[in-house]
Amino acid sequence: MEPLLEFIRENLGSPGLAILISNPQFAFIQLLNSISMGMNYFIIAAGLSLIFGVLKVINFAHGAFYMFGAYITYSVTELMGLSFFWAVLAAAIGLMVMALIIERCLFQFIYDKEHLMQLLLTFALVLILGDLAKIIWGTDQYSVAYPAGLAGATNLGVTFYPSYRLMLCVLGPAIFIALWLFIERTRWGRITKAATQDRDMLSALGINVPVIYTGVFLIGSALAGMGGALASPFNSPAPGMDANIIVECFVIVIIGGLGSLWGTFVGALIFGLVFNFGSVIVPNAQDIFAFLLLLVVLLIRPWGLYGRAESEGHR
Amino acid sequence: MSSEIIFAKGNTMRHRLLVSLVIANTFLAINNLHAEEIKIGMLYPITGGGAIYGSPAQIGHRMGVEEINLDGGLLGLQAISVERDTKLNPATAAAAAKEMITKDGVNVLIGGLSSSVGLAVSEVARQEKVIYIATIAKTIQMTTNKRHNYVFRTASHTDFEGDAMAQIAKQLNAKSICDIQLDYAYGHDLAAGIEKGLARHLPDTKIVLSLRPKLRATDYNVFITQIMGAGCDVVTGGLWGPHFVDFAKQANPFGLFQQIKFIAGGEIGSHEIASTMGRDYPDNVWANSYELWYHHPNEEHKKFHSKLSEQLGTHETTMWPVLAVIGVRMYAAAVKQAGSLDPDLVAEALRGMSIDTPVGPRTIDPTTHQTDTGQFWGPMVKKEGAPYRVMDPITYIPALLLD
Repeated sequence: MEPLLEFIRENLGSPGLAILISNPQFAFIQLLNSISMGMNYFIIAAGLSLIFGVLKVINFAHGAFYMFGAYITYSVTELMGLSFFWAVLAAAIGLMVMALIIERCLFQFIYDKEHLMQLLLTFALVLILGDLAKIIWGTDQYSVAYPAGLAGATNLGVTFYPSYRLMLCVLGPAIFIALWLFIERTRWGRITKAATQDRDMLSALGINVPVIYTGVFLIGSALAGMGGALASPFNSPAPGMDANIIVECFVIVIIGGLGSLWGTFVGALIFGLVFNFGSVIVPNAQDIFAFLLLLVVLLIRPWGLYGRAESEGHR
Repeated sequence: MSSEIIFAKGNTMRHRLLVSLVIANTFLAINNLHAEEIKIGMLYPITGGGAIYGSPAQIGHRMGVEEINLDGGLLGLQAISVERDTKLNPATAAAAAKEMITKDGVNVLIGGLSSSVGLAVSEVARQEKVIYIATIAKTIQMTTNKRHNYVFRTASHTDFEGDAMAQIAKQLNAKSICDIQLDYAYGHDLAAGIEKGLARHLPDTKIVLSLRPKLRATDYNVFITQIMGAGCDVVTGGLWGPHFVDFAKQANPFGLFQQIKFIAGGEIGSHEIASTMGRDYPDNVWANSYELWYHHPNEEHKKFHSKLSEQLGTHETTMWPVLAVIGVRMYAAAVKQAGSLDPDLVAEALRGMSIDTPVGPRTIDPTTHQTDTGQFWGPMVKKEGAPYRVMDPITYIPALLLD
């Protein structure tokens, strides 16, 4: 075994792969890394997917909402001294308020516009929100403490693993189940699904479609804010943090299928696995595998793993 | 109207236009000769991810310009600052630099934060034959293979930094090293600098793992766990600013810093990192900084710190302003010596120029255009009465590469 490991280390230039093969504990840790990363991205990307699925708007400013969620968490925990739980709630509510203003003043006018216009407009929003964050919180970077009881590591028997990340591994699926139940098992969820298929018919049946649209945008933005809040203990609130996740979120949503909750969940998990294990095998080219996967999906199944082809789309 | 007549009329019009342009340019040239001010161009990120460094650097730059004017100006002319936001983006910085030269008529470009921005601005300076003084960007390329007549650097560079890290690794008796650098110019150059330094100071020590997270990475778990699995006793890292903060916060629960010693380049010993992290700043980190508000290497630093405290409204000041001040001061000294604003004459004066600064004397090497800028290094420790971790003991490692 040792000569093989030496060959992998020296000739293939992959010490990580050698560790992966020889150390099952290391492989298990990478699996947990993949899931926790995936769930972190899922919470953020779910909102993006929801907004596109119902409103057919590609919201480039989703990353800015995530950033605001992180900043709000900092303000609530470090400046106001409240608990992390209240901070996450405040981030969600704060983003809903912000989203309400943005939707009523801006987004409601672009639902029927072509995607390029939507992208340009939401990109302009990114710049505006970036400056707004700078006016409110300045240019310093901040640190949010891990919530009490989750700062250390949990003994899983075979290894210790950061408790906060384990919490994300549980919270991500919990949010997925809650969203799925809302969409599949509630009246409002069914109405929301109907809005993705034929909003004219829905309107004709007396449903106030603009209210549905506003509601979906609020929920999607709240998810982005929550994602930022939950990421803030390990991703410092700082200027420019919005740009750090938006590309990955789009990759996940495209792989999974725009507008598909299942797709986003599975896409996030796949992204986490591909990124983490890919980084171990080829340490200096982490992005290659995830973006290769994106290329393959776009070539073979451009509507994503769980998406629907154009002809079945929104009317 | 026949085409010949149209063509003839067109020729006359073009001739008149050409003459007008020549006259206009002549007036402009005359105006420049009689300019009442020197325009000192500033390029730092004021918005976005780099603003945390660019904004204090902007304050330092303005302090430097104010210093010139309080001293009576340069060549009898008042200095004004012409400022642009680079957004930490090389293309934006290059476009801004070009505009400052062609539209605003700046006499010099000073600044640049990241190495990629520095290289982009340097290229514009080369094309337009305008002096560029890099105050922060550290990539070795700027003063080696990409050096030209008009680029000078007052910051340290990656070979100096890497050599200092190798010296510390030797002090720590490192047997095997894991190296983690950001995947861009600075990270790659620092990795090369560390390797050269190890060849000098610790030839028997191996780098067993090299990791290159992307510049905008958010999740470092995969790198942290590889380091822990590789069995190295020392980690050398060039993760600066928010990258280190995120890395450390993610590594703490894994207990990484209890198992290894971390030698951190990228000015992780500076005020803004230590104060931001507070109690989350990990153990066993050896870090560097250009300047420390609580350490006065000379009398001038006390005065400088006092003035900076007033400007920033805080006693605990950040190190970025002093870098900007040094850049402006170096240019001013060169203009005085040259007795001219002509870039070639100023460049000649900059070669070998020596000035005093709040962090000690600085001299530009006439061949490499690189200033002998060393840095303060030391372990970051908790100290009674200190608001956050401080460097103690503080060792100044000069910019020397001893073979």
